[in-house]
Amino acid sequence: MLANDLINNILNISFWMSSPSLLYNAIGAIIYLIMVFIIFSVFGYTVGWLERKLIARVQYRHGPTYVGMWGILQNMADLIKLLSKQEVSLAKGSRLLYAISLPLMLSFSIFIILLIPYSPALQATNLGLGLIAVFTIISFMPLLLFMTAVATGNKFAGISAQRSVLILLSYEIPTLMVIAAIGMLSNSYSLQSIVSAQSQFYYVVLMPIGFVILFITLLAEFERPPFDLKEADSELIAGWLTDYSSPYYALSLFLDYARMFLGSVILAILFFGGWSGPSIAPPLFWLIAKAFIIAIFIIMVRATTFRMRIDRVLRFGWLWLIPLSLINIVITYILFIA
Amino acid sequence: MPVTRINIGPVHPSTHGVIRLEVDLDGDTIVDVEPHIGFLHRGVEKLVETRMYMQCPPYMEKLDYVAPMAFNEAYVSAVEAAMGIEVKERAQYLRTMLLELQRIASHLFGIGTLCNDLGQMFTVFMWAFKDRDIVLDLLQEAAGSRMFYVNMRLGGLNQDIGPEFHGHAMKVMDYMERRIGEYEDYIEKNPIFMERMRGVGVLSAEQAKNLGVTGPVLRASGVNFDARKNNPYYIYSKLNFNPKVLTSGDNFARYKVKMLEMRESIRIVRSVLESLPGGDALGMPVKLRSPNPANRIATSSRELPRGEVFMYLVADPQKPYRLSIRSPNFINLAALRHMSKGARMADLFAIMGSLDLVMGGVDR
Repeated sequence: MLANDLINNILNISFWMSSPSLLYNAIGAIIYLIMVFIIFSVFGYTVGWLERKLIARVQYRHGPTYVGMWGILQNMADLIKLLSKQEVSLAKGSRLLYAISLPLMLSFSIFIILLIPYSPALQATNLGLGLIAVFTIISFMPLLLFMTAVATGNKFAGISAQRSVLILLSYEIPTLMVIAAIGMLSNSYSLQSIVSAQSQFYYVVLMPIGFVILFITLLAEFERPPFDLKEADSELIAGWLTDYSSPYYALSLFLDYARMFLGSVILAILFFGGWSGPSIAPPLFWLIAKAFIIAIFIIMVRATTFRMRIDRVLRFGWLWLIPLSLINIVITYILFIA
Repeated sequence: MPVTRINIGPVHPSTHGVIRLEVDLDGDTIVDVEPHIGFLHRGVEKLVETRMYMQCPPYMEKLDYVAPMAFNEAYVSAVEAAMGIEVKERAQYLRTMLLELQRIASHLFGIGTLCNDLGQMFTVFMWAFKDRDIVLDLLQEAAGSRMFYVNMRLGGLNQDIGPEFHGHAMKVMDYMERRIGEYEDYIEKNPIFMERMRGVGVLSAEQAKNLGVTGPVLRASGVNFDARKNNPYYIYSKLNFNPKVLTSGDNFARYKVKMLEMRESIRIVRSVLESLPGGDALGMPVKLRSPNPANRIATSSRELPRGEVFMYLVADPQKPYRLSIRSPNFINLAALRHMSKGARMADLFAIMGSLDLVMGGVDR
């Protein structure tokens, strides 16, 4: 019991942060960073392995089996292989942008990961506009992607960059409108109060249309199929990543896991009550469990769907997502506010 | 907007072998496509002039590595025509059945790769390969090999089928019929698939005739031509079957024709197995010396899974003097340019996939 309390106190970041002593703040920051790193890497790695395994099972394959038990170390082996490959350097394009854009993209993702509260205690700071902040940084991603693509001067990457800007038009507006509806429901944009506002009903019950829209737009945001047309491997080889090799390509895989993690955690927090759950397990467990189930769902979408075409994505966004998200706001207003 | 020229291939995830496409893009719309071929050119037509007649079938099989037996059979039948050899009755039935099994295996491959080109994460591809494997097992039982059979002999086959084959084949046919229904359910109920296939890459009947395309591509454009029906060989004239013709000429029609043809092939295999006559099916053993040809010029025209192949053989004693192959892959590739003008960049690969090309047959 005492040990449990002790652990809880150590993990209580706000306790460390509220102290006037700089040393205490530093310890708190380090604990927080280590915790988030563990959460992210374990989640990302497990989901990455599960993705290969699940898709393999859908396709009557076994997936990785040789490296480690059930092939669990296969991704490590792949990472080592990627890092040991020769880097093919650019003949044209901007060397500087080439070097910084992917690391920048990854660091933006990590920044968002650090903004998210993982339990009442485990969070960096309770931002009043946390939700807005998260989505503001997410919306920088297409810009960085554009930069990444243009840096290489590759034509496939160029087409990919065009596509990324085009589909931005179709998913960014519905995303923001769903966020507005969430703000209306919870009376706050702080992620902590959004979770505590879901103590009675999860928002997926109160706002099913909003959940479906945000699920779809996050798939588009994070390049998951059927909206993977920026990286469309059967058309554009690897899209914006075509000219990135060895360490940079490994970074892009990290980025994939980071985005998968972000997407599922954000959906879990906004619609499935985040860390709230029976007290038999710590809050962090509930959040991760919910995010895990959402991640499995995203993986199954990938296993079964075809890729949409760019003009169809635009039409879908403007004809379905935007009107539906408006309807969602109206319904939310009529049912819960007025 | 200025036209961008991009170069696709020869090494690209969805070129189905080695082909280079020069694509002119206006934004995302295709202005022109120019295919560059020859990466798989092995000079087979010249090579066979230096070989004895029955040394050539292995070369023929490598022309179409997805349906090798069909190409081989077309060559062997040209040689038989030159030598005036009659194929034994039981062998005629068995050849018909094997060719239809080969057609099922080949169409499964085509549909799997088509779904891959449409951005599917290998799911239909792997399913199709699993089922293709079952058909290949059957072919192995009948012909002795899985990929390159070389089982055609002058006047017959290399081996007769065993007593259990009938039961195995019937079981596989029942399974395949069920599976094809499942594919149709899964693929055609997907709205993304349907909207990417319908009305894309339209080839009108007039264009199709002018370009000389054959096979499923031609029949999807509404032209009722099938070498099995219009120029019947073996026992096709005795069989009750109809070539499948659709009129819309788009990607979806080309996919659907393949699906319908698989069902038709299953029916043909069943009826052949039921009416299989007794007797001997073995052909002449392979010897270096074969009979001297009776005719100087012989031809054979066969309906391959990908279209009509026409072999024109000028026969010398013991060796072909000249063999000219009209490959359906090569002719169908010519339609690519006409079908993809005005289409989206993403559709180029859907169109390529629906043509179901094998580059070995294009380059020869």
